[in-house]
Amino acid sequence: MNEEKQSTQKKRKKINWAPYWLILPSLIYLALFFIWPMFRGLGLAVYNDEAALSLQTEPSRDAATAGTLPQGTQVEILDQQGNLIPPDEAGQANVITEVWYQISAEDADGNTVEGWVSESRIRVREENEAGAPTAGSVRTRIGAGDTLTEVYSEPNENAEVAGQLEARAEVAITDQSILEIWYQVRGEDRNQTVEGWAQSRYIQVFGETNTGRIDRGNTGQFTTEYLSKMVNDRFFWPATITTFLLMILIIPVQFVLAIVMALVIQARLKGNSLFLYVFTIPLGISELAVGILWFSIFTQSGFLNSFLQTTGLINTPITFLSADTRYWIIIAIWLAEVWRATSIVMVIVVSGLQAISDEVLEAAELFGASLWQRVRHVILPMLKPSLQVALILRTILALQVFAVVIALSGGDVVTVLANETYRQYSEFRNANVAAAYAGLILLISMGSAVIYLRMIRSQEEMAA
Amino acid sequence: MSTTISPKNAVQVEASAEVKAVHQQMLRQQRLNRAATYAVAILLVLWILVPIYLIASMAFTTPAAVRAYPKGVLPFIPFSFETMNFFLQSEGIIPGVINSIIVAIITLVLSTLIAAPAGYATSRFLFPGRDFYRLSVLAVRAFPIVVLSIPLAVVFINLGMYDSVYSLALMHTALALPTTILVIGSVFASIPFELEEAAQVFGCTPFEAFRHVVLPLVLPGIAAAAVFTFVMSWNEVFAASILTVQNRTLPAQVLAVLGQSSEPYQFAGAFFMMIPALIFIFFIRRYLFNMWGQVSK
Repeated sequence: MNEEKQSTQKKRKKINWAPYWLILPSLIYLALFFIWPMFRGLGLAVYNDEAALSLQTEPSRDAATAGTLPQGTQVEILDQQGNLIPPDEAGQANVITEVWYQISAEDADGNTVEGWVSESRIRVREENEAGAPTAGSVRTRIGAGDTLTEVYSEPNENAEVAGQLEARAEVAITDQSILEIWYQVRGEDRNQTVEGWAQSRYIQVFGETNTGRIDRGNTGQFTTEYLSKMVNDRFFWPATITTFLLMILIIPVQFVLAIVMALVIQARLKGNSLFLYVFTIPLGISELAVGILWFSIFTQSGFLNSFLQTTGLINTPITFLSADTRYWIIIAIWLAEVWRATSIVMVIVVSGLQAISDEVLEAAELFGASLWQRVRHVILPMLKPSLQVALILRTILALQVFAVVIALSGGDVVTVLANETYRQYSEFRNANVAAAYAGLILLISMGSAVIYLRMIRSQEEMAA
Repeated sequence: MSTTISPKNAVQVEASAEVKAVHQQMLRQQRLNRAATYAVAILLVLWILVPIYLIASMAFTTPAAVRAYPKGVLPFIPFSFETMNFFLQSEGIIPGVINSIIVAIITLVLSTLIAAPAGYATSRFLFPGRDFYRLSVLAVRAFPIVVLSIPLAVVFINLGMYDSVYSLALMHTALALPTTILVIGSVFASIPFELEEAAQVFGCTPFEAFRHVVLPLVLPGIAAAAVFTFVMSWNEVFAASILTVQNRTLPAQVLAVLGQSSEPYQFAGAFFMMIPALIFIFFIRRYLFNMWGQVSK
């Protein structure tokens, strides 16, 4: 007895790992391409990776921090220094380097000049097997009054001048040094002067002058900059309002239409499978194609005007899609979306209806319930779970309407949040503000899902 | 005896006349209802088909007929491939079509390969965490594409994978995966486990049972899911526009030049993009209910 008990306990404890192995690839994939980017996206909206630049007391990576300056600060450039770095470090991403050649050549007077010249001054003509330059000539300086190129005793422009070479002078390259340029800068942050060294890649130098600005920082900070940029954008409020307006206009009509379609399918007419096919076609049609399709109807020389004109209802074509007739654009978007996205609701409703047993419906019919009574008191209550899912799904999809709006309005006259995300990214090249818009869409999606679930639960509680 | 029966008979005759009348009225009512249902059905069919017909008529006519106003009541006249040819020969269209097909096929293969084992696991094993897994997959399905595209674009730029059809396929796979997992799960669930057990009783190894009994039965359903994934990827325009610059897919290309393109180009393009939907939805229409019915359970 005891042994038996133990063995069953052992059996229970043994975990079957097979299903976990089977779901593992999908979990990894979704974590990598869904959950992580989602958080990264929220980060982009509120976190600036390059908010501040920390300056160092010495032109060295190991030096102590002298202070920080925020991105965009105007700075004075006090000094410059090139640090030799090993060639293997030079290949690293984000390291901007300058190469200096050690050369020997003859100047105009026939004297031999030996020293260092920046890579930018030499046109390389010969290389050895390893790819290192061995010979070249001095480049011509276009537009410069001084045609002589200075050769320095050390790989540094501040070093002593060892000689001067004319343009096109032949040089032998004996060695090269890879330098990382550091600037000593001085700038003000909240009325405090900060002075220190930073690598050249963080500093944007203005022309030949000794001023510049902090192009990007190396430390991150949370910021509301992008959010306020989004809210203050001139398209923000129109886009938000239109998005909600479209949601309110589209969703109820879609649900009514979808339920009617589902009832037609449920009636099992002859040719039912054909009806089913036709009703589901829009499910597979691209949003952009639908936008163009409705554009062909509403454009000035489009089908609607053609129809009205041939039937004699109008004499001159009506301009539907213009900045003065925004409501027509809204109506066109509304029709296009109802046309396109009702199918998905219909499919969900039909599969919900199939779960309701025919007996229930027949019983209701036998007791003399009218169609409306059947829909109101039998079908709708039993469809509630399906409708709930369809409602959440549709709301989220309605927030993504994008190509339809561009096709029908050009994207300026009437705009929605998804379109602004696209505009910020593609037109203004501002991924952070685009991420802020995307975050807002995410927030509205999740918010509406929670509200729907709450509403349905509270209704159930009231009923109980 | 006869006296007791005759009133009863009389009542019965009377009642049957009433029943007949009610019955006839009900029949008439039913016929009326049916006619009304047909009328509604036909109206709905017209609502869907007329716009498609209109755009098709524009795609297969001469550019002059596309620009004409007022447009003919009976389009398709004159019938011509000129507009469609013009569209297909425009810059970037053929490469766009090729890119779209590459992206869609990679997406289809990748998402099916990853989703099939997961779908099998959720339908065949009752393991702790199964409901949580299904719920998370459902929740992920509900996240907007818009939210994903921007951070992925930034990540791909940093990794040097930006503007590539392969990166776009990775993103489309992420979009398709949740649906594919749920659909394939429901396809497996519709095959009774007893079949697999029976095969094992008759001497098959678990793998053989799967290979010879289950696989042939689930293949059509998985194929339908794959076709739907293909159509989704073919249609997807937002992520495609964000993630590609030079190597645009067809919808991204059409969208990029939409403002500067002519009406013949736009209309032919719209119809061309619809073709896969018109063909594929026909073949997978029955499975659509498996797919979306699943979501609500």
